[in-house]
Amino acid sequence: MIAMMLQYFENIVSGLEAKIKENPDGTNARKKYTLETVRLGQRLYSGTDKVAWCGVTVPYDVLAAMGVTSCFTEFIGATLANSGLVGSYLEESEHAGQAAETCGYHRAVIGAAMKGMMPTPEFMIASTCPCSGGVAVMENLARMMDRDLFVLHIPQEENEHSVRFLAGQLKEMTAFVSAHTGEALDEDKLREAMQYSNQTRDLLVEVYDLAKKVPSPANGRLMGNFGIVAALFLGTRAGVDVVQAYRDEFKETVERGASGVPDERLRLMWIQNRIQFKNPLVDMLEKEYKASIVIDELNDIEWGPINLDDPFTSLARRAISVSLNGSVSRRVNHLQELARDYKIDGAVNPCHWGCRQGTGSRGLVQAGLGEIGVPVANLEVDCVDSRNFAEGQLRTRLEAFVEMLETRASPLRQSA
Amino acid sequence: MSHEKKQMIGYACAYTPVPLIDAAGYSPYRILPLGDSPDRAGEMLHDNLCPHVKRVLDRALDNDLPELAGVVFVNCCDAMRRLADAWRKARPEHKVTLLDLPATDEEASILYFSEEINSLAGTLSEWRGTQVSPETIEKSIERFNGIADSLNTLKERLSRGVLEGGAAAMQDLFNTAATTASGDALSVLEKAVGEPESVSKNHATPVFLFGNVLANAEAFQLFEKSGAAIVGDDLCTGSRAFCRIEALEGEDVMMRLARGLLRRPKCARTFDPSLPGNLGDEILARAQACNAKGVICHTMKFCDPYNARLPRVRETLREAGIPMLALEGDCTMRSMGQQRTRIEAFIEMLG
Repeated sequence: MIAMMLQYFENIVSGLEAKIKENPDGTNARKKYTLETVRLGQRLYSGTDKVAWCGVTVPYDVLAAMGVTSCFTEFIGATLANSGLVGSYLEESEHAGQAAETCGYHRAVIGAAMKGMMPTPEFMIASTCPCSGGVAVMENLARMMDRDLFVLHIPQEENEHSVRFLAGQLKEMTAFVSAHTGEALDEDKLREAMQYSNQTRDLLVEVYDLAKKVPSPANGRLMGNFGIVAALFLGTRAGVDVVQAYRDEFKETVERGASGVPDERLRLMWIQNRIQFKNPLVDMLEKEYKASIVIDELNDIEWGPINLDDPFTSLARRAISVSLNGSVSRRVNHLQELARDYKIDGAVNPCHWGCRQGTGSRGLVQAGLGEIGVPVANLEVDCVDSRNFAEGQLRTRLEAFVEMLETRASPLRQSA
Repeated sequence: MSHEKKQMIGYACAYTPVPLIDAAGYSPYRILPLGDSPDRAGEMLHDNLCPHVKRVLDRALDNDLPELAGVVFVNCCDAMRRLADAWRKARPEHKVTLLDLPATDEEASILYFSEEINSLAGTLSEWRGTQVSPETIEKSIERFNGIADSLNTLKERLSRGVLEGGAAAMQDLFNTAATTASGDALSVLEKAVGEPESVSKNHATPVFLFGNVLANAEAFQLFEKSGAAIVGDDLCTGSRAFCRIEALEGEDVMMRLARGLLRRPKCARTFDPSLPGNLGDEILARAQACNAKGVICHTMKFCDPYNARLPRVRETLREAGIPMLALEGDCTMRSMGQQRTRIEAFIEMLG
């Protein structure tokens, strides 16, 4: 199973490398992003790297500085969904007693581990943000794989004692990592990684500023999963290169007066997760309605540059700043800000089935965006479990939504 | 009974530092998921969310609550965090605060939790207009320790089958302790302790009951009518809500509260990372300690912390030769009634 996955990633890597080589000066940003993503998969399954399975808000740049190839487990759920193979892994976990109404990412990961599809890591690091289900999965995996587990509790609010607590945990985490790799934290490598993170951050800010242009150089394909996966590249030269490619491509698109979706008519925001398996919805929006997804909720930078002289305090603030952390009112404020900045006409919330923190916010998010005149299409989708995907119903729902948007003037566009 | 007249502060989680609320001059009132309020919370949250949380919000939307001066929520899980958010919209007149709760119980987490409790003390003092003192908190802790001691005495009687009214009466006492001013609750419990033991009903099949929320006394009647004797429990509306909070020498009162709450028998959402997947071992040890022949697990539908850990719990119990019946509830007797046949068959099978 491990060898099969390695082969899968290797094939994609060689294919992408060949395509980029064919046309090195072409519009390759997404290819470079995908290449770096599958290279990460390749390293995870290589059998040679020191590997850690982690939670979503773990500082990947610190782990990179410590020579550890690390990734959040949900990556595997998304990869299996994207490859069309996820069904048997979901069934495996359900047969073992995992409730079918829990998060599809997590069921897929448990099924993958049970089928020997997950490489055994050196250790594991869980994070309590964004969800309690994710922590439970990490605990289960640690037991199944008989590996040591470190838990980062991400406080809900930023205040003096919460930042101090998390910064202390992050330092403890580095001691935990050292104890498992046999290598102490090298301050110079940490500093270099933080410099890369800051460079990536600055470039991301530029990318997102360019995506705000009307028309936008962004589209649903280019920006899908971008922000959450970019976090895995923080602290590395490769991360800087990928985001720089995006910046350059967007800049060039804007300078040409072009847009990510030709003849962009409607601008949409996608809330939380993308649907990870192949489906026609985004294409339908773009081709039939010229409706462009110009912003994903998770494609944003809410953290300040890392202070190189006190990185753990900055990293603590960064983890707490994640918009899925804390109260819904904070999240709604963030969504309203994005809606205004990107001048959107409407928002799509897939309401990932099984995501309690996400679906539990559905009504309040809808009301919050409604306050500024932004309608929301709430879907009912498991973003990983394609077995329950009601394509026809969802298509009709979205068609009705965009047709409604076409008949009204967006208050946010008018204020442009 | 003293009939204390204090303003009430609502809460909904067993990790809430109720002695602190009491010490601040309020009466802690657990908003139990009981009553007949119509199902409306799904509209505000999502139907695919914990029935406990939805039922508690339904009570707020239906005005099925006593007058509350405020509500203290605990960040114990995703659904409870969303409840705090929804409450602010549903009952804007209430003061609301959310207490952060670490997922693990190491020393650093206890220290952080003590700081969170200290912040809560400041919030309650501000709401009340008077400063809560460490001495008052110590006194409240002792009063709640008295409540825990009385409940333990009554639980011990229940385990021997000599508590008048059985498990349903025990749950009524838990509910009284959770919703009544501490002095009054203590009087009720002391009176119950002073009553004579009933005739032993130890012919029933001893069962250990664990899970999260099960506050309806009728559900306990159903277990007993099915032939079960509840000889031990680990429920957040039962014994987990009332545990003694001990004092370590030299430790300040906030640390005492934090340690006492985090180190009590764990809900699935709290665990020791050095012993991942240990919930099953803990349940097994407790079931064996009370000589249970079987284990009934009652959890809320859509409860991720329990859902994710139950397969391992089941496996651990199976390896030890202890059968487990898993029931999924929605805080109504409707769902319990539908499971009557399964409960009866399980008890029959245990013999």
